[in-house]
Order: sequence, then C-alpha cells, then structure tokens
Amino acid sequence: MSTPARAVPTRLRVCVLASDEPTRKRLAALVAESGHQLAELSEPADVVLTDGILGADAAASTVALGAADEMFGGRLPNDATAAQVDAALRAVAAGLTVRGPSEPDRIFDPMPEEIAVPLTPRELEVLAAIGNGLSNKAAARRLGISPHTVKFHLESLFRKLDAKSRAEAVAKGLRRHIVEF
Amino acid sequence: MSDIAQNPLVNLSEELAERTRLARPLVAGIVAQGHRVRSGTLWRKDVAVASEQAFPDIAEAKINFADGTSLPARLAGRDPGTNIIAFRLDGTPEPAPLPAAEPRPGSLVLAFGADETGISVRLGVIYSVGPEWHSRAGGRIDRRIILDTGLTRRDEGGPVVDAAGGLLGISTLGPRGRALVIPSTTIEGVLKPLLSKGRVERGWLGLALQPVLVPEVLQSQSGQSRGLMVMSVSQDSPAAQANLHPGDILLAIGGESVASPRVVARRLGPDSVGQRIDLRLIRAGGIISVAATVGTRPSG
Repeated sequence: MSTPARAVPTRLRVCVLASDEPTRKRLAALVAESGHQLAELSEPADVVLTDGILGADAAASTVALGAADEMFGGRLPNDATAAQVDAALRAVAAGLTVRGPSEPDRIFDPMPEEIAVPLTPRELEVLAAIGNGLSNKAAARRLGISPHTVKFHLESLFRKLDAKSRAEAVAKGLRRHIVEF
Repeated sequence: MSDIAQNPLVNLSEELAERTRLARPLVAGIVAQGHRVRSGTLWRKDVAVASEQAFPDIAEAKINFADGTSLPARLAGRDPGTNIIAFRLDGTPEPAPLPAAEPRPGSLVLAFGADETGISVRLGVIYSVGPEWHSRAGGRIDRRIILDTGLTRRDEGGPVVDAAGGLLGISTLGPRGRALVIPSTTIEGVLKPLLSKGRVERGWLGLALQPVLVPEVLQSQSGQSRGLMVMSVSQDSPAAQANLHPGDILLAIGGESVASPRVVARRLGPDSVGQRIDLRLIRAGGIISVAATVGTRPSG
C-alpha cells in the first residue's frame, strides 16, 4: 500500500485572511463550526481560508470562498456549508485541488467544426439512448430493433469515435457536437 | 564600443515600456463585492467592456484605473454570443486609442490586464489570423485572432494593442487556455444594441442539432450527404410551433444546405428575428418543407 503524500491531522490549524472584519468573523466561525482550530497570522498553519480578496503566499494550500481564481488550491462558492469547508480544508491540506460544483466553467468556444465521419441517424439514436442510461436491451426496446442490432451499431460507434467505453462514446459522439439554435 | 542608444534590444525594451505607458488609461480594473479584481478595457469615456464569461453574476462594480482613480460603474448589457459585457461609468477623460493595423501572424502585440498594483502586461505575437467565425453561443466574430501569450481569468478582457499602439480588441480566454482577441470591429458592432437594450437579439428556433449522415437512399434525391439531426425541440419554441420533432433531419434553411451548424448560425443573425424561414427536412423517409417564424434566442 502506498502512503499518502502528506499525513493530515484530524484537527487542522487554519489561518483566516479576509478583506474586512465581518467577513473575517464569518470565516472564523466556519473554521470553528467545521471542527478546526483558528491560527493567528503569526502562527504556523496547515491551511488558509480566505474570501479571495487578499492574495496569499501559499495559494496552493488556500481555500477561497466566492473567488474563482485558479491559483487557489480550493475554490468554493460563497455560501459553502461548514461540511463543505471542512472537506475542502482537509483535501487541500492533503495536497489536492478542490472546486465547488457551482463554479462557472464557461469557455468561449467556437461552433463545432465539421465532423470527418458523421454518424448515421440510427447510430445517433442508439447513442442518445445509451446516453440516457439505457441498457442494450432497453435501448433495443425503445428503438424497436433487436439487441443484436444495438450491439452492431455500438461496435460501429466505438470504431468511428475511437471510444473504449459507452461513456466515452457518448461524450465524444453526442455532447460535443450538439448545437442549440 | 556600442552606444547604448543604438542597442536594438534596449530600444525595443524602451519602446515597449512607452507603449505600455500610453495604454495605461485604457486598462480598467473591475472590482465587484467579494471578488478579486478582473480586467476590462475603457472603450469610450463612459463605457468599459470586458470578457462576458468572466462575470457570471454582476450588477454593480467599481472600476479602478492605473492612475489611481476609481469610479462606480453599472452593468449596461451582456452578450454571450460575442463574449462581451459592457459597463456604464461617469466622468473619465475620453480615451484616445488608435485604430489598429490589419492583424498579421507574427506581428508583436501587448496584452494588458488589471491587477491590484495597477496593470499587468504580456508581450506576444499574433499566432494566427483566420476569417470570421461563430461561437457556440451563436455570435459572429469578425476575425479569428489567436495570440501566443498565456492568459488567466484575471487578465482576460484587457486591451490588446499592436506595435504601433493601435487597439486590436480585447483578450479573451478560449478553449485549451488559448488567448483569443475579440476584434474592435466586433465590439463596435454589438455595443449599440448592448447599450440601448442590454442584449443582442439573435434568431432562435428552439432546436438542438447534431451533424448526421443523410441515409444513402435519400442522398441523391436531396443532393447532399450530410444534414443536421434534430435531437430535441424546446417547448413552445418556433420549431415546436412549426411541428418539428426529434429525429427529423434538417437539410436546408432558407434555401441553403446545412452541411455544418455554421450555416444555421449565419442564417439566424440579429436580422432574422421575426422572419418566416423555410426548413427542408427528412421525415419518415421522405423530404418535406415547413416554415417557421424565427424567435429571439433566450439569453444565457
């Protein structure tokens, strides 16, 4: 068994950096609520919790609330719960990167280019059924074809999309190329 | 011994620093409650623009300039299609950027951003220049200008200036971390509707489309081997009113074959709203035509 890169104590020393006093108090309360120990600025700390406005020296071991800057090791929404803060502090102390589910991940991207080998209508229907989580049998029932035909289409899809799993085929063949008008 | 004044590297360096000095008034540091500073560009004395994707949720902000002044600003409008957000502010001197020369691959550019200390600068070259393109959100961008510099969420939206000090546009973060430029002409084009209506209206049918092979038996009759399959139809949308269904294959829009989604994007520009448009479809093994009235693309 491999040992973790860093042993993480159960109770972390957390330093709070905030841009104003009310925010500092709110973050300090979150530290207490999540069962960790508040460290003064001058004391050694395992992790930093910040509102993202003050730049921290050790950004990788900093959890920021409400700031999307990628330099922070942990990025949580402003309204993160104490349980989420606790999980993020532990993960970042262990050297991992954490991001909240609600963090916007928008990238200004171009309309998809033309596809070299487009799928056939039937292949797309099979892929859409698989993408909805249906088994081969259920997909066959929905499309009114035999499970054997579904399997045949899937093999063709895997080949065309160079995919090794159903999830990969759905990701490569479906989501990437759908455009809404 | 070489004279320092004739050292080309020193000259280049001095010139870059001078360009930077001249560009300082254009760099807007946009600060909203609870956020670190993000970059923008002072476009006119009362308008700043920035990268729309960098501001998922903002109404009011403070804009800091490199000379230390700070002005309140409010959201005037946003356009995900061209990735431009505009803010109104009061009382700055009119910025006087020069029009940029034609962008050419290999020419030097400076990309500015705002940070806590004032401004940040990146030096790079134009990596490539392509023709007009459409974003996934349906906007038309006049040129595809890619820079070889890095770019972060903080400095996207700042001004990009060419070697002569001309304003090429604003920087924006593209796929795979690439630095793109939204050209000045594109920004000018959307500013008028953005400032008057808060948004840019574009055509909308309510269809999710995916490129597809036209079944072989219909290829010669339709005269094309590719189309766009309807994957879903939004409720109460123009497409729903025109009775389109998932599984229909779109062959042509307004008489133009749709081998790629770009054709559809071109047909559904701002002028298309309210127009009747013909849709040629494959349905149940036959080719039919229906007409739809183009709606307005929902924002966001």
